[in-house]
Amino acid sequence: MNKRKLKEKIMLGTISLLATISAIPIFMIIINIYSEGLRYVSLSFLIDFPPPPIGGKAGGIGPALAGSLILMSLALMIGGCIGFFTGLYLSEFSHTKLAQYTQLFLQIMVEFPTIIIGLFAYSILVVPLKRFNAFAGAFALSVVIIPYIALNVREAYKSIPYSLKEAALSLGISHPKAYLRVLLSAARRGVLTALLIGMAKAAGETAPLLFTILGTSFSYFEGLDKPINAIPLLIYNFALSPYERWHQVAWGASAILLSIILAIFVISRIVVKEVKI
Amino acid sequence: MRSEKIFQILLFFFIFTTLTIVVGIVVSLVTTSSPIFIKYGLDFVFSSVWNPVKESYGILPALLGTLITSTIAISIATPLAISLAVFSSEIIPQRFRSLMNSISDLMASLPSVIYGLWGLYVLAPILHNYLMLPLHNYLGFIPLFSTKPTPTNLFTAGVLLAIMIVPFASSIIREAYTAVPYNLKEAAYSIGMTKWETVRTMLGYIKSAIFAGLFLALGRAMGETMAVAMVVGNILNIPKSLFDMGYTISSLIANQFPNAEAYEYMVPALYGGATILFLIGLVINLVGLYFIKKVMIKG
Repeated sequence: MNKRKLKEKIMLGTISLLATISAIPIFMIIINIYSEGLRYVSLSFLIDFPPPPIGGKAGGIGPALAGSLILMSLALMIGGCIGFFTGLYLSEFSHTKLAQYTQLFLQIMVEFPTIIIGLFAYSILVVPLKRFNAFAGAFALSVVIIPYIALNVREAYKSIPYSLKEAALSLGISHPKAYLRVLLSAARRGVLTALLIGMAKAAGETAPLLFTILGTSFSYFEGLDKPINAIPLLIYNFALSPYERWHQVAWGASAILLSIILAIFVISRIVVKEVKI
Repeated sequence: MRSEKIFQILLFFFIFTTLTIVVGIVVSLVTTSSPIFIKYGLDFVFSSVWNPVKESYGILPALLGTLITSTIAISIATPLAISLAVFSSEIIPQRFRSLMNSISDLMASLPSVIYGLWGLYVLAPILHNYLMLPLHNYLGFIPLFSTKPTPTNLFTAGVLLAIMIVPFASSIIREAYTAVPYNLKEAAYSIGMTKWETVRTMLGYIKSAIFAGLFLALGRAMGETMAVAMVVGNILNIPKSLFDMGYTISSLIANQFPNAEAYEYMVPALYGGATILFLIGLVINLVGLYFIKKVMIKG
């Protein structure tokens, strides 16, 4: 008996220890990013052009921040639209072969290395135009977020009780009205969460942008057919540069990116809570 | 009736867009990479020479890099992910559970470039000073630790990947663990099992979900690009030990693609690497999805 009690103590202790170890990095990351990054952040950091490697003013991440916001909204518009309706189809026509195969494809696509999606956007939007452009980046990000949004919207619509669906459809209103007005309000929590997940993805993804937007940092937005920069790409480029000054900008930019992600995360938690009540 | 038709057509239009994109990705991978497979055949996979100037390309070092880093990652992540799942659904007091789960979910949703930056400037020096150097100094006679380590190398990349995939794998395991029928737990306690014995029984019950989580996490580790590209060292060599600087397929693409257009076969070669990565990932993810299906049928 004692042996078993001892074994229990040891095993549960080991599990707690390992679990604690695996949670340490997140705290280290948040603390490190903010303690290193926040000291470079100021209002002008959010607006200014990046500094030269040596000398000159402190500079900032203005064009990259603007670029990120543009890319995020475009990706959310394109990917959100395609993803939402795909998810609606997956939920409401789940008995069809088309829906079943699409769902399998999407489940695999969620796990696609995103750099492959970058290559895809490069070959269909950068090569023909012979120029890196903002639209290719927005397209690549849309492709990345479509499966996340579609699968989550599917879940949201699936979770509506069947009786509610019957009630909505028996009202005699048209299908689009039933799905997009009545049932959407029942599924709003899940749909909103889906869009927020997509937004967080679009904000942080770097690999799909590598070969599509180039990452010019010395001008603000000039048009969808011109190169643009984004915060994650700037962090990558500057962190690997040999200049101390640019490393500082990368830390500052990471603090901004982390804040964006944290904000989206907190909002999505509040949204989920609202559902439970 | 008309608006129903339009709505249906609209839904079809969007679902076909999605399917076209999926098919388009595969087609563009295959067609763009075909020249390299036609010209070099299997040599492309099994050769270790990467010399764009002579137009000779072998992906083997990068392929090995991908396999080594993801093996390190999954071996570290497996015990951590299972422990985290058990801890947050069994050991920690009820009122802290949702906080703990939030933290784990937040970790899974951090951008990989943030992990990369942190890995490069915080994790790599720590590992270098407190783990890799001592291992090399005292156990350097073991081939695995024989190279004098630099802060960025395959091992660092593997550890960083482990940190990144733990929350993802553990969330899948956690979901299955909390879905185990309650009477199983009651039965276990009622025959006098200790808490640990109960946990072990429950883990046995959700074996499929554990495999699913680990396989899907392995797929993620293999495809991860930015964080790895920042800490793996980016040198194309057949790795001789865990502490060698190396490349993974995805970081090779990220690093070499910008100047690929200058050479005749480099673009097909990098697409070829992506194709191989895609195929490996496809198999691993299908296995993972198969296990998840099994769980769902059981549940």
